Amino acid sequence: MSEQDFDWGAVANAWPHLLSGLGVTLQIAAITIVLSMILAVPVAVARMSAIEIVRWVAQLYIEIFRCTPMLVQLFWIYYALPALTGITIPGFASAVIALTANLTAFMAEAYRSGFQAVPVEQIEAGKMLRLSRFQQLRHIIVPQALRQQIPVILSLNISMFKDTALVSTIAVHDLMFQANTAATETYRSLEFFTTAAAVYFCIAFPVSLLTSYFERRGQLARTGRAPIIKPRKPELTGVKP
Amino acid sequence: MNLAPNLGTAEPGTPATTSLVSAVNLAKQFHGRKVLDGVDFDVAAGEVSVIIGKSGSGKSTLLRVIAGLEDPEEGDVTIDGVLVRSGGARTADWNHGAAKVGMVFQSYNLWPHMNVLDNLILAPRKILGLSAGEAEARAEKALAEVGMAEHIRSRSTQLSGGERQRVAIARALMMRPQVLLCDEITSALDPPVAAEVLGVLARLKQEEGLAVVLVTHDMAFASKAADRVIFFSNGRIAVDATPDEAFHHCENAELKAFVDAVRID
Ligand SMILES: Nc1ncnc2c1ncn2[C@@H]1O[C@H](COP(=O)(O)OP(=O)(O)O)[C@@H](O)[C@H]1O
Ligand SMILES: [Mg+2]
Repeated sequence: MSEQDFDWGAVANAWPHLLSGLGVTLQIAAITIVLSMILAVPVAVARMSAIEIVRWVAQLYIEIFRCTPMLVQLFWIYYALPALTGITIPGFASAVIALTANLTAFMAEAYRSGFQAVPVEQIEAGKMLRLSRFQQLRHIIVPQALRQQIPVILSLNISMFKDTALVSTIAVHDLMFQANTAATETYRSLEFFTTAAAVYFCIAFPVSLLTSYFERRGQLARTGRAPIIKPRKPELTGVKP
Repeated sequence: MNLAPNLGTAEPGTPATTSLVSAVNLAKQFHGRKVLDGVDFDVAAGEVSVIIGKSGSGKSTLLRVIAGLEDPEEGDVTIDGVLVRSGGARTADWNHGAAKVGMVFQSYNLWPHMNVLDNLILAPRKILGLSAGEAEARAEKALAEVGMAEHIRSRSTQLSGGERQRVAIARALMMRPQVLLCDEITSALDPPVAAEVLGVLARLKQEEGLAVVLVTHDMAFASKAADRVIFFSNGRIAVDATPDEAFHHCENAELKAFVDAVRID
């Protein structure tokens, strides 16, 4: 085995399948991200509600998804939920539901800390101009919370993008499923899983770079400088040891 | 102007029938401590009232109760002839009163993610239903009134403190209030800048007939531009008089001591 040559021809032959798998992966990721980013707003609001029972329910939801494995959540929705309700949910839909429910829980916590970072005085200014609670959220709180939490939101999205590989276990024909199938058929595990890893990396890595960029920018803004300036070179700051 | 001097007392009753804002017997506690202890307070249309008093005496709480940012336990508030608060609770006509009252804060509270224009037109567009064109025309006028016309496209984070505060005043004016509540709006500003901002208020009173209620430590402005000086002490109005009476002829020892202390600062 170990002395066999690489056979990238097998990968080339299976390339159309891998591409269609990548399409499925990207679709699942895109739908999940968009839905979670919207649904997390009401969950975060509920988590901060003045009504105790509402706050409690939101927290329970968040903790359930934070403290159980993603794979178990996926299996639960694909296999267990039909047993409970009698309704079978197709693999693709199950995947989207499970990933969205999971990402929404994490995203809601990110939003919450973003919401809490908006000074209450800014909200009072909105109240004095008679903006409704919803308008305060929509125009004052959410935009600032999003901006502040961009690095966290991006890294949550990267994690979720990688976690989409789990959906191959419920027969969704995503990139991982196609790579696994081709590897099994051709006995070329090394080539196919290396290719799959490279494809995931090529998508996640630029987002990861972007995350670091926003983190640096956020640090600069917090240290009291205008938000969009290049980091100063340390040797130019004049600080002597 | 109705300025019956009411030296050294805070007797209830005789709210002027022409009052724009009339609050009777406001009571508010925080953690069992009476922060407003039966306050009667009224504002006539077009009048500048200056509220002075030690820190913690309840000045901000009075403004915040009138503004609706705090709910009192007790008290009636009438705004422009309509009862908006009865026995401490908001009445069904609350919005009628809210529409007449604007507020400006010490910390400006501009929304930093929007430029000046967007800060100004958000509420008029959403609440008053103005078109983009109408709102922008109104914003240009409001900014001109506070001397900030050239900054309409600036980001609020690029402005100085005095400029931010003038934009905050313009933003409040966009809703066409009849009374502007100002809570220590110049406390974070250097004296010349503070004088400029207060000058804007004096001009708005002169030209627009805007009533102003100003909590400040600026005695110079109080004696020059105020129609009334109200001295707050322990959740009560201890003195309600003209500036001349309050600063030169008042026998209230506490007020005298307070004025001396502020002058020395
Ligand atoms: N939201 C609040 N919660 C608890 N205590 C408060 C609150 N707001 C004001 N207080 C207290 O009420 C008192 C009066 O406050 P305030 O009206 O801000 O006084 P002033 O504006 O005259 O300095 C202070 O002792 C303050 O600590
Ligand atoms: Mg105060």
